[in-house]
Amino acid sequence: MDLEEIVVHLFSPPRNTSTNLTTTTGSNFKSQISNHFMFIHYNNCISTQQTFEKTDLEILHETVDNKLKAIEPSYEGIPPGILRRMGKAVRMGVGCALPALQEASQANGIIIGTANGGMEDCIRFLNQIIDYEEGMLTPGNFVQSTPNAIAAQLGLMTRNKQYNITHVHRGLAFENALLDAMMKLRELPDAIYLLAAVDEISDYNYNIDYLDGWYKKEPVKSKDLYSASTTGSLAGEGAATFIVNNREANAVACIKGIQTLHTTNENTVKQACSEFLSKHLKPGEKPDICITGENGDSRMLKYYSAVESVFDEATTIARFKHMSGEFPTASAIALWLACNLHSLPAHCIKKQGTVKHAENIIIYNHYKGSQHAFIWVQRLEKIKPGLH
Amino acid sequence: MSGILVTGVGIISAIGNSVNENRASLINKVSGISALSLFNTRYAGLRPCGEIKIETEQLKHLLNAFEKGVTRSSLLGLHAFMEAVADAGLSTRQLQHPGTALIGASTVGGMCLTDELYHDANRDDEGSAYLSSYDCASVNLYLQEKFGIGGIVNTINTACSSSANAIMYGARLLQQGYADIAIVGGTDSLAKFTINGFNALHILSPEHCAPFDRDRKGLNLGEAAAFLVLERGENIKGKKVYAQLTGYGNSNDAFHPSSLSDEGDGPYLAMLQALSVAGMEPSAISFINAHGTATENNDIVESEAMIRLFSRVPSFASTKGNTGHTLGAAAAIEAVYSILNLTHQEIYPALNFKNAIEGKGLVPVQEYQKTAVKNVMSNSFGFGGNCSSLIFSTA
Repeated sequence: MDLEEIVVHLFSPPRNTSTNLTTTTGSNFKSQISNHFMFIHYNNCISTQQTFEKTDLEILHETVDNKLKAIEPSYEGIPPGILRRMGKAVRMGVGCALPALQEASQANGIIIGTANGGMEDCIRFLNQIIDYEEGMLTPGNFVQSTPNAIAAQLGLMTRNKQYNITHVHRGLAFENALLDAMMKLRELPDAIYLLAAVDEISDYNYNIDYLDGWYKKEPVKSKDLYSASTTGSLAGEGAATFIVNNREANAVACIKGIQTLHTTNENTVKQACSEFLSKHLKPGEKPDICITGENGDSRMLKYYSAVESVFDEATTIARFKHMSGEFPTASAIALWLACNLHSLPAHCIKKQGTVKHAENIIIYNHYKGSQHAFIWVQRLEKIKPGLH
Repeated sequence: MSGILVTGVGIISAIGNSVNENRASLINKVSGISALSLFNTRYAGLRPCGEIKIETEQLKHLLNAFEKGVTRSSLLGLHAFMEAVADAGLSTRQLQHPGTALIGASTVGGMCLTDELYHDANRDDEGSAYLSSYDCASVNLYLQEKFGIGGIVNTINTACSSSANAIMYGARLLQQGYADIAIVGGTDSLAKFTINGFNALHILSPEHCAPFDRDRKGLNLGEAAAFLVLERGENIKGKKVYAQLTGYGNSNDAFHPSSLSDEGDGPYLAMLQALSVAGMEPSAISFINAHGTATENNDIVESEAMIRLFSRVPSFASTKGNTGHTLGAAAAIEAVYSILNLTHQEIYPALNFKNAIEGKGLVPVQEYQKTAVKNVMSNSFGFGGNCSSLIFSTA
């Protein structure tokens, strides 16, 4: 292959130069998106706190070696032979979603967000490759390591032959899964979907992100996370599952909007937040709570401060990463919290607002300062919030 | 489904570094499968692969891409992305518009750097330059940052059907008004990780792969990237249009983590759903770009599913004999080939076929043909039972 040819080819002008650039960009882009409300029914969470069975968020489970590890159930729904072969991400993801699929056995699809899937299996296989110099390897870890193994296992165990997809876009893997579910429900209005997210801390991804400066170097307790003035956060993991459809009756919450963006500029984030609010709130309406992904990393605070500055004294600012730790799909834990807000404990409150309901909730999260998302959730159960 | 049009294409594979080169190779029965010469593995002489014969450092110079931590997967993606974007005549301003989405697929991502990943994951030293580059999302995040893509950005991994789902997601964003332009595709480079993984499963062929042949011995891995630019019909205004995306289907076989069921429910349902979205009868399909990996399992199951769905199986072939199986890029490069079928009204032959699979009797197209092609179906089936099918039609 002649390299010069490649260069000429790559940098040559487009063949058709008559394109009218102004017409393709369009000026009414946003107006084309009509609001679509997606209702959350069943929801389930395995996290680093007691979030399944007897949910108790008042007792804060602390870090060990700067890691918040998931408190896992006994996974009674998974046959022991299968359970033993599952890595942690697959186990948490499947274990969190199976009870939901029992509630909605006829789900029209399984939509998963996971940045890394079975990272532990992945690196175990990798270690085999290097340590045995590509010798005789067993494929088990390889098969389990592919991120789609979670959705695949769920499809297999529930014999669900319908839509099955895995979004892996790092810090926006869950948000893209959520948007996928919203689009699916516009395409098939009577459908019902399983929407879930999961990521694990393995020693391996902890090491990689530690070397890259994303975790704290000094020991930090969860309760002191936000007062630390150093870089890095605490490592976390978890899974959250939602059954979603278009039916308001008996729904726990409603997703009214989602906006994602890629930027490292906090002013762009602030502007996006203002636009998101003005698009979704009626004039005079104010969000009751903004749950942010503040994570104790001094470099990341500017984004959260920018977003918080958009809200006035009416809105309560709450945080959750001291409970969940930082991981790419942690926003799914925030959504679960929003659905179960009656148990939001005092240690989550950063700033108590004057509004006393907990109905309109904005979740703002970003991952590593470049992938940002706003989710507007409306709680439908009119329970007084436990804001002490 | 109304008017999702393809206005730009870009591709790099073992049979060429551009759309035109790929087409010429397909017409001339060129195989890009060879002994590995750039990639260091003990299987270099034992398992032929569809290797792109440009070293990673050379790619960096070619593309003027010297960012810290850029990987071969990202560079291949960048190569195909730039061709597609130039082909569609997209300006920088358009790329940065909030209505421009980038939806890519990758299964290997930065894991092509298997040795670096090993050292970083086991914290053997201070950390390499690639700490943020190992995951599947790294490719699209690199492209997003480099070009300032302004709209929705996503990465999908459904194993070997990944980029079909990326194309589908992009089309749906357009249909629902979440994007005005969707740049969709996939990229994967060769990696010790996948070579050893597929080898441990005993599905890598020691010979050139022979899709749909009775005596096939498994697949050859390959590396590639391809992107398509999709736009809604009403936005085109006199622009060159290659084809339309008229149908898509996604189904799970729900049978086994790494093989398909004998009945091929997943493949069957994916094809059926694609036809249903397109509003077409099976008889409307002119040609099928089959998944056809040449593994024992895939080809017999795909044959069964085609026989189940079509009362008369249309002309079909697999391009895996040219490119190898390029995993997360496979559906994207084969989407480009399907589009070439339509724009040039021609069919490219399958390589290395001798005898039909017993009991199935299906014979792929073996010679280049100029023929009327109206609707092309392109299949991609992956581990975890993730099956997808796309239909492209003349514009």
